[in-house]
Amino acid sequence: MEFGNILVPVGGSEADADSIGLACRLAKEGDGGKIVVVHVISMGRTLPLDAEVEAEIGKAEDVLARAEVLARDQGCQIETDLLQAREVAPAIVDEAVERQIGLILLGVNYRTRFGEFCLSEIVPYVLQNAPCQVIIFQQRSV
Amino acid sequence: MKVIIMGCGRVGAQLASLLDKDGHQVTALDSDPYSFRRLPADFGGEALLGNGLDEDILKKAGIENADAFVVVTQGDNRNVMAAQIAKHIFNVPKVVCRIYDPLRRDLYAMLGLEAISPTTVFAQLLREKLEG
Amino acid sequence: MYIMIVGGGRLGYHLTQALLDEGHEILLVEKDPTICDTINSQLGSICLRGDGCEAATLEQAGTSRADMLIAVTGDDEDNLVACQVAKHKFKVPRTIARVRNPRNEYIFKKLGVDVTVSSTTIILEQIEHEVPSHALTHLLAIEDRGVEIVEIRIPDDASTVGKEIKELPLPAEARLLLTIRQDEKPFVPKAETTLAAKDQIIAAVPLEAEETFRAAMLGS
Repeated sequence: MEFGNILVPVGGSEADADSIGLACRLAKEGDGGKIVVVHVISMGRTLPLDAEVEAEIGKAEDVLARAEVLARDQGCQIETDLLQAREVAPAIVDEAVERQIGLILLGVNYRTRFGEFCLSEIVPYVLQNAPCQVIIFQQRSV
Repeated sequence: MKVIIMGCGRVGAQLASLLDKDGHQVTALDSDPYSFRRLPADFGGEALLGNGLDEDILKKAGIENADAFVVVTQGDNRNVMAAQIAKHIFNVPKVVCRIYDPLRRDLYAMLGLEAISPTTVFAQLLREKLEG
Repeated sequence: MYIMIVGGGRLGYHLTQALLDEGHEILLVEKDPTICDTINSQLGSICLRGDGCEAATLEQAGTSRADMLIAVTGDDEDNLVACQVAKHKFKVPRTIARVRNPRNEYIFKKLGVDVTVSSTTIILEQIEHEVPSHALTHLLAIEDRGVEIVEIRIPDDASTVGKEIKELPLPAEARLLLTIRQDEKPFVPKAETTLAAKDQIIAAVPLEAEETFRAAMLGS
């Protein structure tokens, strides 16, 4: 199975490392597509979309730098991108369209809300609107 | 004094009954005739059917020479609007309204409305009971 | 401009679409989650689910940096409160409210809403303009000055046709601004100008003198 370029959205959680590791393996087995790691800063409406929130940008750059180290360790070609958007999920889909991505690999954490399992709202949106293949990767829940 | 009470729910009807017994001239206003069942059988005031946001109805209720206007419908925004009409359009000397949302209450209190938030009042009451 | 719209009904939807096309940043606030989802999937993520009268929602929506708030829900009282909260708590420079009951226009203005729009009033004005039986048409009200700009058409059978303007018993504060006459360039009427049938005259008239003005111009 060929995936082409693989988009890995990262949010700075423990799921990131495993997602990038998995993406690297898939890339190496496939046709040598590159890995694009993207972090989306979610901008609340209180600020204009292009406002520069130093603290957020610093955090995001750290997350992306870690991703870069991980991929290079595994000998993978990687590009990183930092985006600012009102909503995370549409930004991921737009990025996939723009960069002609073949696969979105979305790592998720097992989460509960009000005591019940809760799926990040990003997942259904990406599944519904992605222009390419999608893998949802969840670490062991407990 | 002449009092108009807009909203004949539990609170409105209770207040209408109390003021009536105290000898005041009371008009209870509601857009649902079924609400008037809450008024006691010996209620001596007037029960008027109509939308209290309509100036004609307010005039019919005698707002032009009312001493006080109380608005306790279920809708915060209705209450806010009716209270402002009474205060700023008809210059009723005493206007009191209910606003459930504490934030909205604070804002309109700042703008000069005499507003009570049952949410805040009741939460405080419960706290006093609990903390002694 | 950052424009906030409260109420995702048909009016709010089309308004959002039109203002987005003009390149503005738009946020629509709507209570109903189903309507929110529909709008978000059709127009992009521009709809916030929440009560546009609640300070907490407006805070989250970044209302304090909004240039304008337009309240177009179906309930006059909700539109009033949304505008007042925006104006007084978040200092939004311009608030616009839709009013269902045309009589609320006056109340809303008195209570601080900058602009009110009543579809009933607009349609009535349009009818006034389209139906020739109304000789006098309201063009613009400058309410804080107590003046309105009106247009009056002189019917063929008006007794004032052929008279000079100075002969007419016009209210003292009324000012004739422009005469529009067939096959002529529009001109500013003078005291000696003679009225002709089918003349259209634009005038500034004090609100309370409108009837006197109409009677003087038509000679009835």
